[in-house]
Amino acid sequence: MLRVALPTGRILKDAERFLTAAGYAPAENLAATRKLLVPSQCGRLEYLLVKPVDAPLYVEQGLAELGISGKDTLMELAPDLLEPLDLGFARCRMVVAGRPEIRRSLDNTLSPVRVASKFPRVARLHFEKRGIPHVVFKLSGSVEIGAVLGLAHYIVDIVETGTTLRENGLVVHEELAQCSARLVINRAAHYSQFGAVGAVIADFARSTENQHA
Amino acid sequence: MADTHIRSRDLAFAPGTELVFGPQAARRTQVSDTIARVSRGWGFTDIVLPSFDDRRTFEGGEAHDADLYRFMDREGRWLTLRADFTLIAAKALAIELRRELRVIRASYEGRVFRFQAAGHGARVEQSQRGLEWVNARGIVHDAAALCIASECLSELGLKDATTVVGHAGFVAAALGDKGKSDRALLEAIDHKNAARIKELAHRRGLDEQRTALLAELPSLCGGPDVIARAREIAPMLSARHALDELEKLSQMLRESGAGVAPLFDLGEVRQFNYYSGMMFKIYHPRVGDDLGGGGRYDRLFDRYGLDVPAVGFGFDLARVTEAMPRTESGEAAAVQVNAKEGAVALREALALRAAGQAVSLAEGKR
Repeated sequence: MLRVALPTGRILKDAERFLTAAGYAPAENLAATRKLLVPSQCGRLEYLLVKPVDAPLYVEQGLAELGISGKDTLMELAPDLLEPLDLGFARCRMVVAGRPEIRRSLDNTLSPVRVASKFPRVARLHFEKRGIPHVVFKLSGSVEIGAVLGLAHYIVDIVETGTTLRENGLVVHEELAQCSARLVINRAAHYSQFGAVGAVIADFARSTENQHA
Repeated sequence: MADTHIRSRDLAFAPGTELVFGPQAARRTQVSDTIARVSRGWGFTDIVLPSFDDRRTFEGGEAHDADLYRFMDREGRWLTLRADFTLIAAKALAIELRRELRVIRASYEGRVFRFQAAGHGARVEQSQRGLEWVNARGIVHDAAALCIASECLSELGLKDATTVVGHAGFVAAALGDKGKSDRALLEAIDHKNAARIKELAHRRGLDEQRTALLAELPSLCGGPDVIARAREIAPMLSARHALDELEKLSQMLRESGAGVAPLFDLGEVRQFNYYSGMMFKIYHPRVGDDLGGGGRYDRLFDRYGLDVPAVGFGFDLARVTEAMPRTESGEAAAVQVNAKEGAVALREALALRAAGQAVSLAEGKR
């Protein structure tokens, strides 16, 4: 039986729907159960329910052979995992946002740009690549308020519809990446359980194609 | 009087250092001894290598510059802790080869020091045992290296390990001059992310044939049939040459009755390394990372003005130990001797040792 790390939180419902469509329906309602390990009805997979930020770690350390993770989390953690499939759900954008006038006001300043983010690594790499001096504040939530109150000039965050940004008077200044749920695989498991892992990838790929057809 | 004001944190070692003791250490020694015994059986002799050297020795290896450990010696020279065995062995053996160009079979054991991110268990020290086969020309040596690695695994009870073989020349041919130093593209290939490969290839303006080949790399993994499949989509001369070599290797393993049936992964990519031909890694279901690996590096000695083909591999002793099946120690139980009996006890212990018995000398009742 292969173990699949699944992130609790916003992706879980879509993930459950996807797994069911792919023929790997969980034996219990994943959103309702308090169990952390739940088998699939077919008995070929076992789901490990963990925090989104922990899912890639369990796969990387080999405690789960496969996992589903948001691209945003993968960009932040940069785990050493295979990432063969874009599962197509939980779509959002990783963006740099801020007050509309902020870019103009920063045009001629040499002092570091202040950035607030739940994704400090992504933020740091982006401003480093641009050669812009910066300070990154790691926030755990409600990142928008950081830009509203002036803690930071910019925020780096994920945006689904853009409503929260709009309602707080912020705009997108730059899009960094299109994010969605990805299938991730432990490198060793991919090879040492080649047949079993390959069969699951093929089933997931077929289901992804069907959803897009 | 001992200092009794030691704080708990004074007893901690730096993160990533190795500390192995008791049964785990005994198992690791058993792993190392087994690999050493097999290496000797194939004519390899031990080489003891310096623990540190000039930074230039480690250029072109797996470790990035920022991941190396440096220190200054008493004369103010900057030195680098050994980050890679093959690179420092090449320098040591080049000295010997400049005197006399001959075949050298060298086997080493020790630690390498390089920073690894937390995801890999934040390891800084890694114990390795491996071998370098220098002036070893031709596929037969590639096949023999795989056989030696396989014999080690078999002796360790790890017959169920999987050997995955790729070819540095194939990926290089698929990438072409434009793509071979493109880090984002190499990373996408390494993560088998076909969609990202396609996106980057389009963005870089690569032609359709090359884009299609690159996007297929993640699926070119499996039995020997993937070599034939790759031929259909990789018409470049250098790609065909790489596939010819892998075909011969597969055939040689089959015809020799070696019992080694590797998986082929033509999308296997290793950034910043010295491999020039066949390369391989070994995996086991009980361990989340590779147990070791190696390959052919025919151009490594160029830096010392020598044209010397070579092949080699190394095992990660911690990971191989982790993969080993848990069995009871086969060693005979030690005879208890009461140390309180002084010279009498010592005489008894010496007599038992002379008879080849294991002894446990400790204070206490028999």
